[in-house]
Amino acid sequence: MTAIAPPVASAHRRVRTRSEQRRQSWVRRAPLLPALLFTIIVTQLPFLVTLYYSVESWSLVRPGSRHFVGFSNYVQVFTDSQFRTTALNTIIMTVGSVLIAMLIGVGLALVLDHKFIGRGVVRTLLITPFLIMPVGAALLWKTTMFDPTFGFVNFILRPFGIGHFDWISSFPLGSVMIEMIWQWTPFMMLLVLAGLQSQPRDILEAAATDGARPPAIFRELTLPHLRRYIELGIVLGAIYVVNDFDAVYMMTHGGPGISSANLPFYIYQRAFLGFQVGQAAAMGVVVVVATIIIATFALRLIFTSFSGTEEAA
Amino acid sequence: MTTASRRASLRPGKKSIATEPGAAQRASRRRTVRRKRRTNSVTMGIVGWFLGIVFFFPVLWMVITSFKTEAQAYTNSPTIVFRPTLSEYSAVFHSGVWPYVANSAFATVVSTLIVLALATPCAFALSLRPVRKTRDVLFFFISTKMLPVVAAIIPIYIAARDLHMLDNVFTLIVLYTAMNLPIAVWMMRSFFLEVPGELLEAAEMDGAPLRRTVTEVILPVVAPGLAATALICCIFAWNEFFLAVNITATKAATMPVFLVGFISSEGLYFAQLAAAATVATLPVVLAGWIAQRQLVRGLSFGAIK
Amino acid sequence: MAEVKYENATCIYPGADRPAVDSLALAVKDGEFVVMVGPSGCGKTTALRMLAGLEEIDDGSIRIDGQDMVGVPSRDRDIAMVFQNYALYPSKTVAENMGFALKMHGVPKDERARRVREAAKLLDLEQFLDRKPRHLSGGQRQRVAMGRAIVREPKVFCMDEPLSNLDAQLRVQTRTQIAELQRRLKVTTVYVTHDQVEAMTMGDRVAVMRLGKLQQFASPTELYDHPANVFVAGFIGSPAMNRLEGTLTPDGIHTGGVTIRPPDALLRAAQGHGKLVVGIRPEHLSVGGSDLALKVELVEDLGSDSYIYGHLSGDRDAKIIVRAGREHPQPGELIKVGVDTAHLHLFDAASGERVGE
Repeated sequence: MTAIAPPVASAHRRVRTRSEQRRQSWVRRAPLLPALLFTIIVTQLPFLVTLYYSVESWSLVRPGSRHFVGFSNYVQVFTDSQFRTTALNTIIMTVGSVLIAMLIGVGLALVLDHKFIGRGVVRTLLITPFLIMPVGAALLWKTTMFDPTFGFVNFILRPFGIGHFDWISSFPLGSVMIEMIWQWTPFMMLLVLAGLQSQPRDILEAAATDGARPPAIFRELTLPHLRRYIELGIVLGAIYVVNDFDAVYMMTHGGPGISSANLPFYIYQRAFLGFQVGQAAAMGVVVVVATIIIATFALRLIFTSFSGTEEAA
Repeated sequence: MTTASRRASLRPGKKSIATEPGAAQRASRRRTVRRKRRTNSVTMGIVGWFLGIVFFFPVLWMVITSFKTEAQAYTNSPTIVFRPTLSEYSAVFHSGVWPYVANSAFATVVSTLIVLALATPCAFALSLRPVRKTRDVLFFFISTKMLPVVAAIIPIYIAARDLHMLDNVFTLIVLYTAMNLPIAVWMMRSFFLEVPGELLEAAEMDGAPLRRTVTEVILPVVAPGLAATALICCIFAWNEFFLAVNITATKAATMPVFLVGFISSEGLYFAQLAAAATVATLPVVLAGWIAQRQLVRGLSFGAIK
Repeated sequence: MAEVKYENATCIYPGADRPAVDSLALAVKDGEFVVMVGPSGCGKTTALRMLAGLEEIDDGSIRIDGQDMVGVPSRDRDIAMVFQNYALYPSKTVAENMGFALKMHGVPKDERARRVREAAKLLDLEQFLDRKPRHLSGGQRQRVAMGRAIVREPKVFCMDEPLSNLDAQLRVQTRTQIAELQRRLKVTTVYVTHDQVEAMTMGDRVAVMRLGKLQQFASPTELYDHPANVFVAGFIGSPAMNRLEGTLTPDGIHTGGVTIRPPDALLRAAQGHGKLVVGIRPEHLSVGGSDLALKVELVEDLGSDSYIYGHLSGDRDAKIIVRAGREHPQPGELIKVGVDTAHLHLFDAASGERVGE
């Protein structure tokens, strides 16, 4: 058989007509549009408006006081010592809670990866903190656990000589962090557990036959496999925790002073208690920019490491 | 003992007992292995149960407290033994909690239905043969979820105020829908991707038009995923506080807001508080227990199954 | 009447540098069982899917019963397909799976039930009619997939490697069942497989494909006895035909250190081809002859006969397989092997094409 010219060059090539192609692509796009448009309108527009507000000085209690001030709101934000304090608080809260939650989460996942009686029940118990309404959980910790007189924590520590200790006033940041860790550990645990259970058993068996003992298997095989799950957990967890408003609001209202306020709470204070729209908007923009930086990591992880569809074994 | 026999008894492995394990020895070795496995499982069991109870304890304590009277709850050392009573629950229900429950339920259910209606076709379109645009759209959806609400709340509040939509449950519905759409789209997409392509081809060869392929072939396969997505959207909508507290006041307030108002207005009544908190959190905890297996998928945007 | 004709049909995937199916020309007679076979990537599955309407016909056309199928969607082609992974609807029972297509075409319920029952009887599925696919074994699922196709009484059956997910024993059993079924129903069938044993035992005619191009389309015997090129010669038959390099000399073909004299007609046809590939099947070599010298490397003793694997003494890389009986030499031995020149095949070394008829 002689070589045939590639069909692309052939005059008979049956190309889909332009209008067919356009119709096909419409059919493909149409189902997308309602969800997409809705999301754009409800989420992007407000953010653009926030940008706009951030360059104005506007107090809601003094209508008619709106005027353009350029970047002075931003300058105020960065020179505001309270902003710096709350930013620092946010970082401490986020980094501390996420890392500790992940550490505990890995431990819990390792335990749950073994078969034992009632494993399903234990798993159910362990995920419950995550399901509790955040304000409910904050309330819970504030009253039944940390309350100086009637709280359970003090009851437990009484034999050790500590009683009537006001945890929340003395360690505001710490108390909030404990509550956050309690709430977010299940999330980390679930992610890591999914990672443990997705490890193909035959690789572990091969290692055992090769003479590796369990600690070595964990170090050489399991941990590298878990790496991307842990990374994902840390990054996603950070994004959620950074924005956590409920815990601060319920437990300490940011106090004493602003020692336990984080950025979302501080911005809320400025906007709804201080009615300083322009400044609050500027702070919001700053927080967004910071979140975008973390989010880029998250997105890269989700898109490459997990490729959104099937993972290789 | 002669030198020879002493040497024989010292040589490793060459005992006078046969080096071949007899039936008795084999049985004892087998028992050791099984015992080790069982100990492992028992140890893990003990550790697991201990940790589970420790973590669950605050919740347990809350529920226990809710069945006490105020006097029993307000003691220096917690009362462990007591006669349970529903008095605090009835106090909660008589304190006007029902409108809050109604608002929460309404906002949750309606927003979830809308989310499913919008997300399912969207996710389906995104699960077909991937185009460059697919990735961009998915990227966009996730990014909206990652941006802090706090940056958008001011315009939303002002817009709602100007439109006289403050303290309106429908405003909440709109916001919750936007909040849950990204998760729903990603989750549903991951479920659609699990439908084998061959199934769709078989349906096409069998002469099924698109509509019937969707209803008779795809939806039944994807139904559990739909249910799981719905449950997870319900969880997030019900628990949501920040938007609710800022957008609503009295008419459209939801359960989280109820809890807050509860504290400040009534002072600290532990037992009643515990009852209120139990009532507020119970539906979602149950939903979460049911949808446990799919929780990971929802939280990781479908990246992890 | 359901003739299937591929008329220079071509399919090229976007971004690929060669067509998946390159100008395929094939005519399947009504009621014929045609097997498309070849190594992976040869285009056989794509060709099947073009017929079923699951791949675009980018150039040329495919005709079913004389009607051009270009642009015609699958559901209008009256073709039933059996998929490699069965593609059974998981939420439906066996009976519903089998009746689905009829339901889509508006066939009334009683008629549907009757046809499903008939097909179930044919395939021994009657006791499973109310079960869902997940409660069936692999073999049972495969039968349901077939039943789904049979019930439609279509013009053409398309089968995409339906046996590849079955274990070896079941595969052999099902193979014969499918062949019998087709003979009974007399429906034109196009069947794709990578297993040449399936091809040889099931097909009325077999199309061997490679890299998108048709190599030869003929009956199994014809393919075996008169392969059209070196590729077909090596692909059909197991163990594969021995292929040696050779050069034309006045006396015959010089290969393996000796000169072999083919029959006169063949020698005449070989004139003008300087370099040749000499092909001879293992069963046409005999131990104890006087033509080739072989060093034995390995012997596979299959009970009834044995296969001797070795190389030409003097050329490590020239591998030879000889079929022998129960008595056979041992590895390491040097033996002499005779060539049955009546069954010699010659191919042009450059083009691979067969020389002679």
